[in-house]
Amino acid sequence: MAPTTKGSSKGSSSGGAKGGKPSLSSVSRVSKSSKKNVKRPPPVEVKSKARTEKENLQKKKKRVYTEAELDLPKLNTITPVGVVKPKGKKKGKTFVDDQEGMLTILAIVNAEKEGQIESKMMKARQLEEIREARQKELEARQAVKKNKLEAVKDSIRNNKKGKGGFGKSSEDSAPTSGGSKSAKPKRKSVSFA
Amino acid sequence: MRSLTEEELRTFLSKLAIYCSSNLSELIKSTADDSNDENARMVFRIQGNRVFYMPLRLANLATSIPRASLLSCGTMMGKFTKTGKFRLALTCLSVISPYSRTKIWIKPNGEMPFLYGSNGTDLNRNELKAPFSDSNFLPVVKAHVGKISEDCPEHSGCIVYSMDDTPLGFGVTARSSAEMRKLEPTAIVLFRQADEDTLFTT
Repeated sequence: MAPTTKGSSKGSSSGGAKGGKPSLSSVSRVSKSSKKNVKRPPPVEVKSKARTEKENLQKKKKRVYTEAELDLPKLNTITPVGVVKPKGKKKGKTFVDDQEGMLTILAIVNAEKEGQIESKMMKARQLEEIREARQKELEARQAVKKNKLEAVKDSIRNNKKGKGGFGKSSEDSAPTSGGSKSAKPKRKSVSFA
Repeated sequence: MRSLTEEELRTFLSKLAIYCSSNLSELIKSTADDSNDENARMVFRIQGNRVFYMPLRLANLATSIPRASLLSCGTMMGKFTKTGKFRLALTCLSVISPYSRTKIWIKPNGEMPFLYGSNGTDLNRNELKAPFSDSNFLPVVKAHVGKISEDCPEHSGCIVYSMDDTPLGFGVTARSSAEMRKLEPTAIVLFRQADEDTLFTT
């Protein structure tokens, strides 16, 4: 708006002094007319769509977060830890009626049982070995004890026999009891004159 | 009546495996009358808490009887307890005895004490004691054992036979067969099982 007012004021003043300068004014007019003649598309009113519009009423699919994505502390969730129902799994019982299924289950069960029995047998065998070893040890100890006793018995018997003959007794008693030999001559004797 | 679920089948078979060896699979593979007919295949079915063993043909026929009215069908193998364990019933003896893992044969003088005897839990013990006063009503004592399968471990499932190979019952060995040889005649060799007071109660 500013240049047009200027031009008009100029034109009016100059036109008044020199008898008119149509060129100037004409230029300004042309420029004006050119601006006016530009064709524009008719303005379209942009309406904001109401909430009750069909498009707005359709719910957008919200993103569903998985438990892991949410990263909630486990104790604060409603379902207790460990009770997580698998999603998308069929409800109810799964029956085993075909032979193959039954045989596979049987194979698993049998393998478990065999393992248990095997370990039991191994354990029993080990225990048996230990028991036998202990028994042997005991027997050996008893045999040694018995031998010792026999030796002592023999020595006593020989001693008794030895009392009859002097020479024998001194020889026999020597290896069994060294102290008795030295003690005998020292034994005090009382004699009545 | 329905077929067993995976878990039920596992519990059931693991119980059977105590008494039977690996040839238990024959039990599943077997047919009622040596034909390859699908309907003659032997199957396990559960009715209430009881497990039955029967040919498929019979199981299919039984579907026409309402569940509440069906008492029994085929051979009863045992029943599930409320805690989900499985108890074998004595009626399964004829089915499992051919597949037994460990066997014990008892002499004729031990048959009656075994069949009438109890493991000290029988309420009628005193009444029974009078006619069989010579036996102590111990489970199975060594003096009654005719023979026993070799190399049987302690506390293993065992099927009891009379000397003429008639299955009488089942139990659990108290000692291993190696230990049994050293025992005195009055020592307990086997604990008997399958005392079924509630076999036919509903």
